[in-house]
Amino acid sequence: MSPSHTSWTAKFLAVVRYEILWNIRKKKFLGMLVVAFALATLSLAGDHIVSAFGGPSVEPKPDFVIGSSVGLGGFGFLLFGIVTAMNTISAEFESGTIVPLLAKPVSRTTVFFGKLFGAFLTLLATYCFLMIYMAIGGFVVYGPQNNLHLVPLSLFGALFSTLIWISLVLLLGTLSRSSLIAALGTLGIWLGTTIIGSILGTLAGQGWILTYIPGTGSSGFANGGLPPSGPPGVSFPAGTSISTGTDGIGPNLINYILHPSWEVTYYKINIGGTTPGQVGWEPLYSELFSSVIVRSIAVALVYFIVFIGISWYVFRRAQVAE
Amino acid sequence: MVQAIETFGLTKRYGSLTAVDKLDLKVEQNTIHGFLGPNGAGKTTTIKILVGLLRPDGGTVTVLGQEIGWDKPKIRSRIGYMPELPKLPKHLKGTELLDIYGRMCGMTKEERKKQIPELLDMVGLKERGNDLVGKYSKGMQQRLGMAQALLNEPRLVVLDEPSIGLDPVGMVEVREIMKGMSKEGVTVFLSSHLLHEVQQVCTHVTIVNRGVSLASGTLKEISAKISGPVTIEAEVDNVSKTVTEKVKELPFVTHVSGDGKKLLIELKTRDDVRSQVSQAITAGGGIVISMNLKGESLEDVFMELLAKRKERGS
Repeated sequence: MSPSHTSWTAKFLAVVRYEILWNIRKKKFLGMLVVAFALATLSLAGDHIVSAFGGPSVEPKPDFVIGSSVGLGGFGFLLFGIVTAMNTISAEFESGTIVPLLAKPVSRTTVFFGKLFGAFLTLLATYCFLMIYMAIGGFVVYGPQNNLHLVPLSLFGALFSTLIWISLVLLLGTLSRSSLIAALGTLGIWLGTTIIGSILGTLAGQGWILTYIPGTGSSGFANGGLPPSGPPGVSFPAGTSISTGTDGIGPNLINYILHPSWEVTYYKINIGGTTPGQVGWEPLYSELFSSVIVRSIAVALVYFIVFIGISWYVFRRAQVAE
Repeated sequence: MVQAIETFGLTKRYGSLTAVDKLDLKVEQNTIHGFLGPNGAGKTTTIKILVGLLRPDGGTVTVLGQEIGWDKPKIRSRIGYMPELPKLPKHLKGTELLDIYGRMCGMTKEERKKQIPELLDMVGLKERGNDLVGKYSKGMQQRLGMAQALLNEPRLVVLDEPSIGLDPVGMVEVREIMKGMSKEGVTVFLSSHLLHEVQQVCTHVTIVNRGVSLASGTLKEISAKISGPVTIEAEVDNVSKTVTEKVKELPFVTHVSGDGKKLLIELKTRDDVRSQVSQAITAGGGIVISMNLKGESLEDVFMELLAKRKERGS
């Protein structure tokens, strides 16, 4: 290894260390961690609690761990993304700590990517702890678990999904130099795409748009379909519900390995029903499950690269007047 | 000899406001150079350009013989910089901060292990190195800011208002640190609006106002440029006509006026002639109680330069 390379590595790792120490000593992050572990514990103990209050007795669930998405869902990914990254760039500007940092003999590119990598490692460690906690807890509470070897895919998916939100937080934080704008802006975009987008997509039959936006994406159904299985006058698609967005990368990868031949069928809700007086789900189109996965990974990559690319460009050119 | 800092026509604008206006600055190596000016004079803006935090709108900047470009970390490895009221990451301990910054400066483990305790000792934080920066007082953060500026043994140390937030003891210590650095061949570029601080520690001074350099050189050189009279204010016992006459006979005295025990003696020289004046007073039968030279201090020079600038402006 050449001296310059060694020196660059040492500087990069110094930035990584700086960022990790900042993250793990943040009250927001520690609070989020406590909440995540509390929710994971609740999800592990949920059946026992229901059973203790007179509900059905706890049955073994061999697929509990593999279906748990590291104990988090789309909103969990978003929150971890915001909490981990909202201080990464913008808070440095807000607090003024960017001044001594950027005056050090480290290139801005090294600072930027060191910080990004630091945020990634913080997230990786957190998700690993959560995953191990869920795996051990699932085994203890619900008995032996199936397909534990696929759990790393769940971890990969969770990380990937969160990194998109991290890149968006970084982008908004770098452009605005405000942690509040970064956090609220990201939350607003998530709300827009997830809630409003899915309502419009489902009712207007334009759900495909959501598959090109970060988040939950549109919903389809695999391994089943019509004929209707609901009560008279109302039809439901059968099969497994699939979220085709970037938040579903982990579970979808696992499902794909377990069921490579699945097709995903999309529906729109036809308020008027397929026949007069009926409320029904009208099939729109189908595609291979593999296509869904490839597209969601590609979409995630494109957004990540674009958001990070713009953030890096802006950060490199940022002047520090205050 | 290569200058430590050299700027030609350095200009920086914030919208319609010109913070630095075609500033020519030369800082010789191995000097303590004061950068003096009132608030808003463009001192911090100039410094931020020097350390790569701001991009100039015009002119050139050379530091230690190398032209400052945008995001060139190599040059910064030879510069130590302490910002005005340094904001340091509160989540790190004092030693952690210096260790991380030391790594960023490319220091080896051995160098960090040796230098960090020495620096903490030097700035009086030896006992508080393991505390979080967030628990430090303003003065302590200022001291830590000084320590981080001296990591990696820089050739040029840029200090932006280093005395703000320090108690009188701390101010004296900072001055001693600067003098010590200068003795070791380090160039110190110090921005301040505290005239006495600059006068006590600096060998050279540049005075700026509204982004324009008003004067630059040694204090004596700058004083010489000022055309205003130097006055001696003397408190004298037994003031008499003979005393006044004796003083008036001195070739460099232009006017003497008195009010009770006070004598105001106007001079046509900027040399320190207090001993001759004192001898003349004694020869006339007076007893000198105190004697002050007015118009020679940096404060006088500074005020006069600002006044001249204002006159020209209006």
